[in-house]
Amino acid sequence: MIQTSRLVKRYDDTVALNGIDLSIESGLVYGLIGPNGAGKTTLLGILAGLRSATSGSLHLMSDHFAVLPDSPAFDPWMTAYEVVDLARNLAPTDVSEDAVGPVLEQAGLAPAAHRKTSGFSRGMLQRLGIAATVVGEPELLLLDEPAAALDPAGRREVLDLVAAMRGRSTVLFSSHILDDVEEVCDEIGIMRRGELVYDGSLDGLIARQGPQTVYTVEVRAEAAGLAHALLTRPWVLMAKARGSKLTVETKSQDAAEQYLVAALAEYGAPVVAMAPHVRTLEEIFLEVTT
Amino acid sequence: MTLWRLEWVRLTRTGRILILLAVFFSMGIIGPLTVRYLPELLDSAGGGQEVIVQLPPVSPEFAMASFLSNAIQLGLLAIAFVGAAALAIDAKPEISVFFRSRATIRQILFPRFVMTAGAAVVAFTVGVITAVVVSGVLIDWPDAASTIVASSLVALYLVFAVAVIALFGSLVRRVPATALLTIGSLIVLSVVGVYEPIAAWMPSYLVGGFDGIIGGGDFVYWRSIAATVALIAGALWLTVVRLENREV
Repeated sequence: MIQTSRLVKRYDDTVALNGIDLSIESGLVYGLIGPNGAGKTTLLGILAGLRSATSGSLHLMSDHFAVLPDSPAFDPWMTAYEVVDLARNLAPTDVSEDAVGPVLEQAGLAPAAHRKTSGFSRGMLQRLGIAATVVGEPELLLLDEPAAALDPAGRREVLDLVAAMRGRSTVLFSSHILDDVEEVCDEIGIMRRGELVYDGSLDGLIARQGPQTVYTVEVRAEAAGLAHALLTRPWVLMAKARGSKLTVETKSQDAAEQYLVAALAEYGAPVVAMAPHVRTLEEIFLEVTT
Repeated sequence: MTLWRLEWVRLTRTGRILILLAVFFSMGIIGPLTVRYLPELLDSAGGGQEVIVQLPPVSPEFAMASFLSNAIQLGLLAIAFVGAAALAIDAKPEISVFFRSRATIRQILFPRFVMTAGAAVVAFTVGVITAVVVSGVLIDWPDAASTIVASSLVALYLVFAVAVIALFGSLVRRVPATALLTIGSLIVLSVVGVYEPIAAWMPSYLVGGFDGIIGGGDFVYWRSIAATVALIAGALWLTVVRLENREV
């Protein structure tokens, strides 16, 4: 597992990390999200031993880890095969050279295996970085924005690859693509200005946002009149129409459950569908980080 | 692929070993050739005028000295840039992350140091052999034993130069800065080495040994050898400490 306690990193007067207490169980896929400058890369660098913490403690379950920077680069005169083979050779476990070919195949680089990396696109370098990262079968994977430079197909492959590592390795990856985090992560951490403002499951984060008070209603007509009428009710905080869709926020979950359906029936609204508005990770992320 | 093979590939595939070989090989030809034909060249350039130019007698010792004076300047320049390209480990942080997250500084540094120093010594040796052969054909053969001893001293100085490159690679990050600081510091050390009380302890004294030994002088270089070996070890130790404490 990964455990940090009161991890602090200062650059002169700038506090990059401010007392990070992180705990990640073995075998989990953990997503680290946060706006630019939140401290994600600094935290990954410290975990990887590439940077030192100003204070605090850090415990890693294993020193068999691999790191993928956000913009992987390699000596341009090396071929893709040589890069992965070197990574294999430097891995603490004994991995056969036979593993290099399949890993390159998995990364979609088999046709370019013996080409020099100087001609690789950013996406190809990203794939090569991932291949070099997984070839040594590390127990801990630290991935900084692993899918950032990839096209949708490449992104899909990376997410599948990360998901496939679940249970075999502990994966900690930072990302700006919240859908990716939502899709593959068991747990997430949200960073803001050097602090870990949330650490836990996605469900836990959503539950922590309090009772459900926002509902989406779809009617078979223009919803503007309905929104106007609902705003006269004392238990309605907000009603907003957009075409045939209506978003209503009530003062409490009880109010919504007790009065909203009745009020819609009273107005004779031709309701097609009604459901609580499930906040996306992006909405929650924006709430937590701003 | 191992870190040792990587350094071999770095030298050969980038053509850097060819640069070193070309510099020393060409100096090995030009040095003795110039000595052999310099009187004729001066005659044809200033023939008939009342200008008297006094030259040392055309000899294999003069030919080898001429080779070294040219080769050490251009050769060090080439070694500094070729070496910095390998020994400025953190010049590109993304590449540095690949190595530093997988191997210790010692594992990364020593193949780079040994292969770069080895390439410098091999290229210099090729230059010496070329100079000996050209001198032998055009003038006369220099004494083999003294040439080997004298060349060994210069080879040790080149290893010291590579250690200095490694040290500056740990103090700055960029390749040009590493190379230029190395050249600058070697020039400063050579100037300081002129000061008589410490001259015999300076690495640059080894280069002077080339002319001295081939010219039949006594072997008075033990202090310089000891100091240079100590400085190489010290520079490498400091490099490791610096890099281990430097963030990527």
